[in-house]
Amino acid sequence: MTFTQECLIPVERERLWDFLMEVPKVASCVPGLETVEAVNASAYKGSLRLQVGPIRLSLQGTMTIEEQDRSSWRARIRAEANDRRVGGGIRARMSLTLVPGEGGTRLQIVTDLAILGRIGEFGQPVIKKKADALLEEFARNLGAALVA
Amino acid sequence: MNAFEYAAPRTLDEALTVLREHGEEARVIAGGTALVTMMRQRLVSPGYLISLHDIPGLNRIEVANSGLRIGALVTHREVETSPIVRERIPVLAETFRRVASVRIRNMATVGGALAHADPNQDPPVTLIALGARVEIRGAVGRRELPVEEFFRDYYESSLAPGEVVTAVVAPQLPPASGAAYVKFLPRTADDYATVAVAAVVSLEPDGERCRQARIALGSVGVTPIRARAAEALLAGQRFSAELLQAAGESIKGAVDPLSDHRGSAAYKREMAAVIVARALTQARDAARATARGTR
Amino acid sequence: MNRKIHLTVNGTARSVEIPTYRTLLDCLRNDLGLTGSKEGCGVGVCGACTVLLDGKMISSCIALAVSADGHAVTTVEGLAGDERLHPVQQAFIDAGGFQCGICTPGQVVSAKALLDAIPNPTDAEIREWMLGNLCRCTGYYKIIESIRTAAQRSRA
Repeated sequence: MTFTQECLIPVERERLWDFLMEVPKVASCVPGLETVEAVNASAYKGSLRLQVGPIRLSLQGTMTIEEQDRSSWRARIRAEANDRRVGGGIRARMSLTLVPGEGGTRLQIVTDLAILGRIGEFGQPVIKKKADALLEEFARNLGAALVA
Repeated sequence: MNAFEYAAPRTLDEALTVLREHGEEARVIAGGTALVTMMRQRLVSPGYLISLHDIPGLNRIEVANSGLRIGALVTHREVETSPIVRERIPVLAETFRRVASVRIRNMATVGGALAHADPNQDPPVTLIALGARVEIRGAVGRRELPVEEFFRDYYESSLAPGEVVTAVVAPQLPPASGAAYVKFLPRTADDYATVAVAAVVSLEPDGERCRQARIALGSVGVTPIRARAAEALLAGQRFSAELLQAAGESIKGAVDPLSDHRGSAAYKREMAAVIVARALTQARDAARATARGTR
Repeated sequence: MNRKIHLTVNGTARSVEIPTYRTLLDCLRNDLGLTGSKEGCGVGVCGACTVLLDGKMISSCIALAVSADGHAVTTVEGLAGDERLHPVQQAFIDAGGFQCGICTPGQVVSAKALLDAIPNPTDAEIREWMLGNLCRCTGYYKIIESIRTAAQRSRA
C-alpha cells in the first residue's frame, strides 16, 4: 500500500534537515524505537515496538538511507523489519521531502509499504491508522527536541 | 499456540486477584472465540489464561429498572433467543442474531465481545444507540460508563489492566420510540458489516416529527461511533427525504472508515449515509407502529 | 502445562491429559481417536470442525480442550445407533448431500442440532442455521434437501 503523510515542524528547513540526517538523534524521536545501531555510514539496524490493542509487535530490522540530497531537500529510505514471533514483517520505501510551510517546515513522506505474513492478514487497514498516529507523535517529539 | 498456565477460578474476586498477580502476562478468557483465534495466529501469546466460565452469577439476564442487565458471560445466542430480551428490547435480540454463525454465538459472550473492541462488531452499535452502560470490576472496585465511551481504539477498550466487564445494562426504549439495526454486508451473511447503523427514533405526539434520534455506526472507524451531528439535525424536525438526505451528508463527515476487503473507505463512507437513512426510516416506522399500538 | 480433563464424549466418560494449548478439535482427533471432525479453516468459520458441546454447536478448532472439562461432547461418531445410522446421516446418503465428504461431518452434526432445536424447519430456517457450514462441492442444494428429507422422515 502507498500512502502520503505530512506534518509541520516549527523550525527552519536547514535545521530540520541536519537533525533528520543524524540518525541516532532522530531515532530518539521515533515512538516505540527500542534500539538503533549503525552498521555503516548509511545503514542502521534496530528494533521497534508497535502495539495494536492486545497485539504487540516487536519488529527487528534495518534501515538504509539510499539517497540524500540537501540541495533539493529530498531523501529516500528503505526499511525492512520482521517480527519473528508473530511471523511477518514490513518492507518500506519512503521518500522524504522538506518544504517550507507556515510557521516552520512541512515534512512530507510518501511511503510504499508491503506488509508480509501474519501482520498483513491481520492489520492492513489498521497499519495506516497506526502509521498516522506514529507520525503525529514523531512530529511532536521532533518539535520538542528541536525547539528545546 | 504458545504454552500457557490455565486457571478456572470459582469466584470473581479470585479471578481478579490472579489477574492482578500476573499483570501483562495474563488474559481473561470467556467464550474464547476472539482470543483463541488470535492465539492460534500467534498475534497474542499470554503466559496465563484465566477462564471466567466457572464463576457463577455473571450469566444472568435480569430486568433492571424496566431495562435489562445482561451479565458478561451471557452468550450471544442466549441474548438472541431470550424471551425477556425479545419482549423488552427486541432490537437487541435482533442485533445479536446478526453476529457470525450459530456456533460462534453459542460460544462468544457479551462481555468478551465488548472487551475485544473490534469496531466491526454488531452489538456495540445497538448498545450505543440504546444508551447502554458497561459495568466493570477491577481490583480497586467497580465502575461503570456508557458503552459510547468504552471504546478507545482498534482492539482497545477503556478497561484498565486487571479489569473485567461484568455486565451491560440497556435501558428500554423511551415511549413513542422505535429502533432498527441495519447491517449492510454485500458479502457472506456471517461476516462483519461493511457498514452498520443502529437508530432509535422517538416521535413527537403528532407522530410526524422526530423528538429525538440516537444514531450509532459500526465498521466506520477504529471504534463504533455516535453520530451526534446527524442527531442534532433531526431533533424536532419533520421527517422528509430532504431531512434524511441532510442527515446522511452529515454522516459522511463524521465517519473515518478503513479500507479493507469489505469495501474501500470511500465506498463505506457513501454507504454509511445510505444505511443511516434506511435505519432512520425503519426506526421511525417502528415508532409509528408503537404509537398506534400495532406493534 | 498439562491438565487432566474429564469429559463425556458420545455418551462415554473419557479422561485425557493434554497440554492447555490443545484445541478441543485436536484433542478429539489426536488424543481420543475421533477423526470424524475436520480442521478446515482453523478460525471457526467453515464449520468442518462442528461438534456439540452440551448439545450446542460450537467450532471445536477455536475451543480449548480444557474448556470442555466436565462437559459433554457429541461428535459425528456419536450420531449413529448400534443398528442404524442417525436419520440425518441416512437422509444425506439418500438425497446425495455430499461429494468429497470433508465438510459432511460438520454438516451432519449441525443438521442434527437444527432438527433437535427446530423439528420442522422452513427452508429459510435451514439456510440461516446452516450458513456457517461451508461446502466447496455440492452448491448446497442437496444439503438442504437432505435436511428437509430428514425432517420429513422424523415427522412421519
